Amino acid sequence: MKYKVCIIGGGVIGTAIAYFLGKMGETSVAIFEKRYLSSGATGRCGGGIRQQWSTEANVKLAMRSVEFFKKFKEEVGMDIEYKQGGYLLLSYSEEEAEQFEKNVKMQREQGLEVEILSPKMVKERYPYINTDGVVLATFCPTDGHANPHKTTFGYAKAAESKGINIYTHTEVNGIDIENGKIKGIQTSRGYFECDVLVNAAGAWSKEIGKMAGIDFPTESYRHQIFVTEPLKYFFPFMAISFSGNFYIRQALHGQFIMGQGDKDEKPGINENVTFKFEKEMAKKMVKIFPFLNNLRILRHWSGEYNMSPDAQPILGKSSEIENFYYAIGFSGHGFMLAPAVGEAIAEMIVFGKTLHSDISYLDKERFKKGIIQEKNVV
Amino acid sequence: MVKKVQALVIGAGPAGLCGAIAIAESGVDVLVVDEGIKPGGQLPKQTHKFFGHEGFFASTRGFEIGEILYQKAIDLGVKFQMKTTVSGIYEDGIVVYERDNEKAYDINADFLLIATGASERFISFKKNFLPGVYGAGAVQTLMNQYRVLPGQDFLIVGAGNIGLIVAYQLLQAGANVKAIVEASDKVGGYLVHANKVKRMGVPILLKHTIVEAIGEEKVRGAVISEVDERFKPIKGTEKELVVDTICLAVGLQPSVELAAQAGAKIEYIPELGGYVPFRDENMKTSVDNVYIAGDLASIEEASTAMIEGYIAGYNIAQKITGKDLSEKINKMKKELEEFRKGPFSTKVRNGLKKFGVNFPEGGFRTEKQENTGPTGKLRVKIECPQNIPCNPCETSCPTGAISVGGNINGIPHVDYEKCIGCGVCVMKCPGLAIFLIQEQEKYSIIGIPYEFELPEINEKVLLQNKNGEIVGEGEVEKVVRNNRGKTHIVFLKIPKGLENEVRHFSKISLEDEEIVCRCEEVTRSKIEEAIDNGFTDFEELRRYLRISMGPCGGRVCRLQTLSIISMKTGIPISELEPGRFRPPTIPIPFKAIIKGDEENEI
Amino acid sequence: MPRRVASHPILGKMEEKQEIEFEFEGQRLKALKGDTIASALIDNGIDIFGFTDSGKPRGFFCAIGKCSSCLVIVNGVPNIRACITLVENGMKVERQKGKGNPVW
Ligand SMILES: Cc1cc2nc3c(=O)[nH]c(=O)nc-3n(C[C@H](O)[C@H](O)[C@H](O)COP(=O)(O)OP(=O)(O)OC[C@H]3O[C@@H](n4cnc5c(N)ncnc54)[C@H](O)[C@@H]3O)c2cc1C
Ligand SMILES: Cc1cc2nc3c(=O)[nH]c(=O)nc-3n(C[C@H](O)[C@H](O)[C@H](O)COP(=O)(O)OP(=O)(O)OC[C@H]3O[C@@H](n4cnc5c(N)ncnc54)[C@H](O)[C@@H]3O)c2cc1C
Ligand code: SF4
Ligand code: SF4
Ligand code: FES
Repeated sequence: MKYKVCIIGGGVIGTAIAYFLGKMGETSVAIFEKRYLSSGATGRCGGGIRQQWSTEANVKLAMRSVEFFKKFKEEVGMDIEYKQGGYLLLSYSEEEAEQFEKNVKMQREQGLEVEILSPKMVKERYPYINTDGVVLATFCPTDGHANPHKTTFGYAKAAESKGINIYTHTEVNGIDIENGKIKGIQTSRGYFECDVLVNAAGAWSKEIGKMAGIDFPTESYRHQIFVTEPLKYFFPFMAISFSGNFYIRQALHGQFIMGQGDKDEKPGINENVTFKFEKEMAKKMVKIFPFLNNLRILRHWSGEYNMSPDAQPILGKSSEIENFYYAIGFSGHGFMLAPAVGEAIAEMIVFGKTLHSDISYLDKERFKKGIIQEKNVV
Repeated sequence: MVKKVQALVIGAGPAGLCGAIAIAESGVDVLVVDEGIKPGGQLPKQTHKFFGHEGFFASTRGFEIGEILYQKAIDLGVKFQMKTTVSGIYEDGIVVYERDNEKAYDINADFLLIATGASERFISFKKNFLPGVYGAGAVQTLMNQYRVLPGQDFLIVGAGNIGLIVAYQLLQAGANVKAIVEASDKVGGYLVHANKVKRMGVPILLKHTIVEAIGEEKVRGAVISEVDERFKPIKGTEKELVVDTICLAVGLQPSVELAAQAGAKIEYIPELGGYVPFRDENMKTSVDNVYIAGDLASIEEASTAMIEGYIAGYNIAQKITGKDLSEKINKMKKELEEFRKGPFSTKVRNGLKKFGVNFPEGGFRTEKQENTGPTGKLRVKIECPQNIPCNPCETSCPTGAISVGGNINGIPHVDYEKCIGCGVCVMKCPGLAIFLIQEQEKYSIIGIPYEFELPEINEKVLLQNKNGEIVGEGEVEKVVRNNRGKTHIVFLKIPKGLENEVRHFSKISLEDEEIVCRCEEVTRSKIEEAIDNGFTDFEELRRYLRISMGPCGGRVCRLQTLSIISMKTGIPISELEPGRFRPPTIPIPFKAIIKGDEENEI
Repeated sequence: MPRRVASHPILGKMEEKQEIEFEFEGQRLKALKGDTIASALIDNGIDIFGFTDSGKPRGFFCAIGKCSSCLVIVNGVPNIRACITLVENGMKVERQKGKGNPVW
């Protein structure tokens, strides 16, 4: 079998790239997914879509993505429960508050509408939040959230309708290279030839790199997350704090989804969960969101953040192997960036360059020049 | 400070209780955690006498077995924590949730015995969400533990042992059972159980199923229909029944969530009840310090659950203490072998073979006794035609007149020379399958085992045959009360020639859609449509339709969804991925976690 | 229609239990100490414990706290499982319609 483009990974990134390829008329495309669609980080993520970032690059990509999320239903044909309920960023330290003010300035320059709120204003607007300790908050009304599973399925179904093939339960085991060019891939379903190969393997991006002899500077870290029983829908925004280390939102179904980061995590793939996480979350979250006290935790799981050294994605085309593309290292925000990234990578493959988003500064070579850290991460 | 125990037993059913007893016999400290209100698992709900042999409490009523085992465990120093759910086995500990104190915290254990039993299966039919459609276990809990009847006129779906027993228990509690429907062409449960309800006039409709519940706000009736060989309802055969409650007794599935979270390898072995943890002959799972026993290991019986509990328990004790307990272990293995030799264990034997655990079969009598004894003598008539693992008739007879032949699975025969008509076996037999008969000059006498409100002497009664049909009138001659065992004998004067007919009597004073996932209200048609659209993985469907994302954690709908996928795609369930078993097993309140943590810090 | 199984051929007569009172949908009802909300409602002939989001009536189903079919509002707090929560004197129980409201 031969496809022009083979994509490794059936998460939101792989399916988005396939979707945009199809849209641009390239339909000799196949996705290879070792488990089922959205079985990786995508199916385990919080579904938040935020434009309030601390680096210009991330803000731009996120804004471009939001434009697409707004028309997702018409264009892709799936209702993904997209809701622009805003993101409320809560800061618990003076230093961070200062950074927030700088960020907002930069964000406004990019044309993003962002408010700065005092703790008192937060309390007035959202009486169900305990604002003790909050120094400053920012709110962007066009941020929001969507259902990551449906988003992935939406891309996948639309791609399939254009004739693109999706091989689930098909693992890529090896990459066949001849004269510095990829010729094809070895999979659990046999050999497939290709002109272009895309690494969209999320947490396994490093392993895929190794198959081609390329070292991607990514590491995977477990992140845990849980949902509660549903309540009536009343909490339309995502509340998040970097200094407070949490995020929380209510799904349209009424369930609350929340998580935090853990600095003690060791790199590696780990799908287990810990009770420590529930204890820490329960104590912290009930204080800030007292209505949670009577609520029950329903399901608890974990997924991997595929981290890059600066917490920004690594996107582009390999300098070592010319027909090898990558879209990896998304940390905790690959879901929201998928539209802009999918479009940009597809454009690079089809037109040889990006037409809408400049992603050149996100390529793998940037780390040679030094690291500009994205600070707005949990 | 995290609490630590040497051995933690999850589940205080017969398996967990016996496991705890076995461990405690060696002086090891054991904690048993169970979410129920009373120890005993299924036992406290069971008012009928159990099968098996008297060494494992045959002829004792379920709730009494529970009490005996619990007392034994307490005497050995076993600690119990009831109304406490193990809500998850996490990487960093085993989390328990105390319901009454609203407190969740983690504990550590060197060895785990998971004996979480099974949960009920569910089937879909139109309007199955209506109040009045209840699981068999729920009906038993309310009726026998809280002493309220959730309805008056019942339809029971399923003629396995559970359906048959629940029907009988409902009749004892004063409800009416309009019918038992069973999709297959034979009664799955023991015939002796079926006969008990049949002779009270409850029709067992084979090759029938329920297709719809009738009612707007609650059940007011049910539509049943015949099914073809592929269990599909046959159009035009529908019948309406007026009932206010539909009781589902369509089988059990092992509660594997915790075993899976503990890292035990889970496999799909339909003969053992569906997804079950792999285990070896010592009841050890693929994880070195995790053992299982009972219905979790294979849907079977209380007797085998107890023996497996002992085997697991002795193995754990042996590892903790370093003492050689092989003698005790081998004795229990021998017992288990005896129990599993009969035809009702064929499935389990075949299932276990897949794990490389082999049990022999046979070695028991299969012929029925033709000879019915000397006319005119007061003697027993045993109607126990199947090879079931049961022998109290043999062990209770003071004159040694009964033998089951070979091992416990044999069919009982009577030595009429020896039988003196004392009636002990009639009162003991858990199947209520032994009758006393005597032909007299003008009429005959029949002694019937009876567990209902007793009639008056000389009272006139209507006589019923094996199917509950009225075959004549008779008169109560005498009543032999059995205040301990509660199976009394009622002697009736009946017309001659009806000795082999009369088996019971009555006093003369005469959208509607199929929902698969209840929590999220996902219908069968939505699932089928999604499968047609290419969502053929359980996890994909779950994410797409939210199926099994509700508070029940997929207990109700997981297997049903898998079977729909399997039917639509032709892929056997064993080859489908069952999806993840994510903790907690029941929803845990934030406040409980906070409380547990605060108290642990003090 | 009383649904109590007051006497039983095997379990015997029910032990004497203290009578308590609770409120359901504004109506005063009697229960016995040791009853769950579910068993008390059933004894009072009430099978409908609430309604789902789409308006379908719901009662209990598993009776052991596993299926969440029986959610009711107790003293203003939603999502309480009627089948494993004991009734208490003066408790206010309401039918839950769909998802509960937040309380803080
Ligand atoms: C707890 C948590 C919360 C998060 N919250 C958010 C959020 O609110 N907003 C947001 O934008 N992002 C969030 N993220 C991050 C987001 O989920 C990821 O960045 C995003 O899903 C990455 O998508 P992907 O397609 O690159 O990776 P994945 O979804 O992991 O997909 C990669 C796929 O590649 C497959 N694969 C790997 N190796 C092979 C192989 N050899 N052969 C075949 N297939 C292979 C895997 O099976 C996998 O399905 C969160 C992540 C986690 C873990
Ligand atoms: C109606 C009926 C009639 C029966 N009749 C007979 C009979 O006549 N003879 C016979 O031999 N067998 C009979 N059985 C079968 C017998 O009851 C079961 O095989 C036996 O109870 C299995 O024992 P177990 O200990 O494995 O599970 P169970 O008795 O089901 O006990 C499991 C225990 O685990 C607890 N548990 C589960 N999950 C958790 C958790 N996460 N945290 C804490 N606790 C948990 C449960 O509360 C329960 O108490 C009958 C069963 C039924 C339903
Ligand atoms: S009636 Fe008495 S003597 Fe006869 S078989 Fe039964 S127990 Fe034995
Ligand atoms: S006749 Fe014997 S073997 Fe048959 S059910 Fe009764 S006691 Fe058991
Ligand atoms: S009836 Fe199932 S949880 Fe209450």
